[in-house]
Amino acid sequence: MSRVRLPLAALSLASVSALVLSGCSQSSDASTQAGAGAASAAAATGEKPAPFSKGTVKVALVRQSGAGDYFEQWGNGAKAQAKALGIDLTVYDAQADNAKQATDLSSAINSGAQAIIVDHGFPATIQPEIDQAVKKGIKVVVYDVDQTNKSVVSTEQDDASMAQAVLDVMAKTIGRNTKVGYVNVAGYAALDKRDSVWKKALTANGWTQEFKVGKVTDSTATDNVPLVSAALTQHSDVTGVFAPYDELAKGTVLGVQNKKLQSKVKVFGADVSNADIQNMTAAGSPWVATAGTDPSAVGAAVVRTTALQLAGQLDKSSVEFPAVAITRDFLVKNKIENMDQLRTALPALNLSKVSTADWIPNVAH
Amino acid sequence: MTTTQSTEVPAAAAIRPATTTAVRVQNAVIKYGFILVTIALFLYFALSEGTFRESATLLDTLRYVSVAAILGLGVTLTMAVGGMDMSVGAVAGLGVSVAAQTMVVHNQVGTVAVLAVLAAGAVAGLLNALLIVVLRIPDMLATLGVMFVIQGGKLILVDGQSVTPGMTMSDGGTAPGKFTAGFLRIDRGTVLGIPVSVLIFGALTVAAWVFLARTRWGRVLYAIGANAEAARLAGIRVGAYRALAYVISGVLASVGGLILASRIGQGDVSAGTSQLLEAVAVALVGTSVLGRGRPNVWGTALGAVLIGIITTGLTIKGLPYYTQDVVEGAVLILALVFSFTLSKRRTA
Repeated sequence: MSRVRLPLAALSLASVSALVLSGCSQSSDASTQAGAGAASAAAATGEKPAPFSKGTVKVALVRQSGAGDYFEQWGNGAKAQAKALGIDLTVYDAQADNAKQATDLSSAINSGAQAIIVDHGFPATIQPEIDQAVKKGIKVVVYDVDQTNKSVVSTEQDDASMAQAVLDVMAKTIGRNTKVGYVNVAGYAALDKRDSVWKKALTANGWTQEFKVGKVTDSTATDNVPLVSAALTQHSDVTGVFAPYDELAKGTVLGVQNKKLQSKVKVFGADVSNADIQNMTAAGSPWVATAGTDPSAVGAAVVRTTALQLAGQLDKSSVEFPAVAITRDFLVKNKIENMDQLRTALPALNLSKVSTADWIPNVAH
Repeated sequence: MTTTQSTEVPAAAAIRPATTTAVRVQNAVIKYGFILVTIALFLYFALSEGTFRESATLLDTLRYVSVAAILGLGVTLTMAVGGMDMSVGAVAGLGVSVAAQTMVVHNQVGTVAVLAVLAAGAVAGLLNALLIVVLRIPDMLATLGVMFVIQGGKLILVDGQSVTPGMTMSDGGTAPGKFTAGFLRIDRGTVLGIPVSVLIFGALTVAAWVFLARTRWGRVLYAIGANAEAARLAGIRVGAYRALAYVISGVLASVGGLILASRIGQGDVSAGTSQLLEAVAVALVGTSVLGRGRPNVWGTALGAVLIGIITTGLTIKGLPYYTQDVVEGAVLILALVFSFTLSKRRTA
């Protein structure tokens, strides 16, 4: 008898605790909690317009991927700004699974959200859902998505200027008519734009592209190390590698170090984050230049743009966040170890003047 | 009534002392416990979250799990013969690449793409069967090897790129085709308000149930899974049936690939990889349904629905994906307790 009862009791305990577990989490509403390192909000002075004057506003954030240092900080900035505005933000994270992002977006449309922010995504996958959302009267703001609906607000970091800024440094560092490598993938709007700047730079500088490798996964940095190592085994005579996305750049740095080529092969990346700064300033790092926006400031600015659009106060259909070139020398000389110090040293990264109003408590510094 | 019962119960207990209340409750828990957990979770989300109750959300949930469910049906068949197909996610991903390559690069119509994808699935299944039946490699290891070969092979097929309409191809030309409207209806279209992919999921579930539970072939598959040597001595061509299970699994996985391709609407080199573990999980969860303790089709379908309810419900509640992984894992372990620990105790 007791041998029978014991597992039964354990089982019912397990089912009950599973229910209690999910019950508790409802009250602690993880989605609206500010991320670590988020800035404190500056107080708003103006009176809130509708719909913000009428209580909590429901917004969905549908992300292609929230993984990786850059996207985590972006998400933290967005959550912090949403909290400051009194927005109930539900985050859908497809974990780089594009099919899931399509169904996530569909769920977000049906969730009763007043606005949807779409962070990255394949246009062919999400365009029909975006059109559907617009048709239902939901305000849609996209970040780095190359989409066609005229009612949608486009936000993006200025990718062309970002690639150009890094490639200018690269041209100065390695000179003309030399051999170079390339780590990138096609099919992502931001990366495609950086790609077209790269192609022009190749011709303009007379560079020979010895290899092109790269893939995007849920652990992009790690998964690119073997690709870059293999390419460098074959082509150890390149002087510079352009990897225009920080996760790709991290993988490239490891690949270069694996092959012990860091004194000969320099890495030119893109984007910037705490981990990227650590990576660039580490002793013997081949990563000599990057260009970026502050991911946390961008995430916050996208949420502010959405708030303005909801209030009917946004008078444009696209908002661009300019990028700033950052070199290893600059970081080392100014002893910069993290984003906070970089923001102070480079005020251009601060987007506090972008998409703001007197009723918006701004989380940017 | 009450008096009659009270006199009968002690009498019955005297004849069969083992049938105590505790044992009866335990049997009921083993048999219906998992269905009850599913219903309880459903009610909990439906009562606490208004959006969860809406038919659009429920259909989205089914649409989301349809791929893992269809892949899970294939895994169920291979589990029935005592094996396991680890290549289903890769085969679905291969389907996405083949569909994109056929329509975008070779400019073919949707029907050709569908046939090409199904053929690719059958070939992958045959490859598994060859390794397992002819070369006698253990199921899980053989299909794991095939998984890697396919994941790499599909990238060779598409030149390492996600195939997009209008892209520049390796020979410098521009890709001539696009995903046809008809092909896109596989996942994006509806019939009587129900997404086509959900209807495919339903139809394949019924077909797989008829095959596995209502035909001689299905009983033979289970007989092989229970004791391959006994089945062989009974005159069953064990190798042929095991090969059949893997080929069907490959074709089912490619159907999952068709739905993914239609959902994504372009090539995607990473498609399908996330589906393997979910497919295996739903098939394993399925073993616990109705206290069967063995792979079964309705169990797999219900397992998929349960995973869908958890994912959708917890997302609406605002929990991040890693919390969902923990809850899904806990549910899987709970199901395995039903399947192995409790069922074995009952039969012992």
